[in-house]
Amino acid sequence: MARRRRVAAPKGRDNDVRPMAALATFGVTSIILMAVMLLAPVVKVGPSEGELAPDFSAQAYSGGQWEDLRLSDLFNKSWAPGGDGNWILVQYIDTDCPYCWSEGELMSQLHSQWNQEVTFVTVVVELGIPGHGSSRGEVEAFRDKTPYDGCKTDSNCADRPGDPHSWTYIDDLNSRTSGDWELPGTPFAALLQPDGIVAWNPQQPGNHPDGEEMGGALQRLVGGS
Amino acid sequence: MALDVPLMVFVAGLAVATYTMTSLRSKEGEEGTRAMLDSGLAFSVVGLMSSGWTYAIHNSILDSGETTMCASEGLVQCGSVIGDPRWNNLYGIPWGVTGLLSFSLLFFLFLSLRMDMHAKWAESFTTYSFLAGLAGLPFVAFLVFVELTQVDGAPHICPFCTVAHLSLIGFLTAAHALRGRKQSGMWA
Repeated sequence: MARRRRVAAPKGRDNDVRPMAALATFGVTSIILMAVMLLAPVVKVGPSEGELAPDFSAQAYSGGQWEDLRLSDLFNKSWAPGGDGNWILVQYIDTDCPYCWSEGELMSQLHSQWNQEVTFVTVVVELGIPGHGSSRGEVEAFRDKTPYDGCKTDSNCADRPGDPHSWTYIDDLNSRTSGDWELPGTPFAALLQPDGIVAWNPQQPGNHPDGEEMGGALQRLVGGS
Repeated sequence: MALDVPLMVFVAGLAVATYTMTSLRSKEGEEGTRAMLDSGLAFSVVGLMSSGWTYAIHNSILDSGETTMCASEGLVQCGSVIGDPRWNNLYGIPWGVTGLLSFSLLFFLFLSLRMDMHAKWAESFTTYSFLAGLAGLPFVAFLVFVELTQVDGAPHICPFCTVAHLSLIGFLTAAHALRGRKQSGMWA
């Protein structure tokens, strides 16, 4: 009696096709990436000199109501060296940090000297240190130099060195931007060209004349004041 | 809105992928399975291309503050969506790059299956494809939520982002159908 033969299920190929599929995937993805680079090259974003400053959008206080402000709205993308346009000084502070408290006076001096050429922006963060709790009320009082207990942990904001600040303060008490800015601590300040490219970062002293600080950087880069 | 050639190309790709899937879905055996794989591959290629396009828009906005690659005014636009620094990235990685990497994985899984439908690993790759597609759904839901409620001047709809979202949904549908074929013995 003839035995019925069982139909064998189709077998796969002898060789493993997955490396070839991976290679093909890599090729397709690379072609698409190359096309992207041709259409719009990657822009390096970061706080280092030569990079585009990390953008942020947050609530800002300039003496009246808190309003939305986007850093890149201050950029003049068509700026060329020697051309018109305001430079931007981005300062990071914590209203409870004693060094930020002291720097209030320097900032007042720099602003009075450079306010025609430089737009000042102060971003207020809250460092994760006990006693460094802050609030919008404290930010307003720090900026305006008005009576409020709690600046520099337990001081009255009205006693802050320097004059009341007339520039914009940004609420970043949740520290949403500090990662992008690789914030080393406070106070920290970076000077941006009018097109938003970082021109001076104190964390890169090797790029600057010996011992250069914020005032020197303004003088060297913005000049003409 | 002016006729946008890249958008038309992507929509045509979605249409071809959808037609391939729907017209041959009920076919038994290898022909139907191959059609599902081709459809999924087409969806993943459209996903790759649209993700690349959104990445290019992202770079263009960073570079010049505006883009000519997509409208930046009105309800249907990219500027306010891809240009919003609060929402245009995942832990610093632009969504376009995330899309490129994700669709590369999906493309690899389906291409492997397409190249050897009867391999020992075919069943596990079918499951991985379905699970990988499924993992993308919460991100799509989140991004649609962001477009409609969170970005500057919301609601907005970014057409190229929507193409990428539809590509994922199409891929997932194909992966789900393939998994069903495998489990029900309709594979080959």
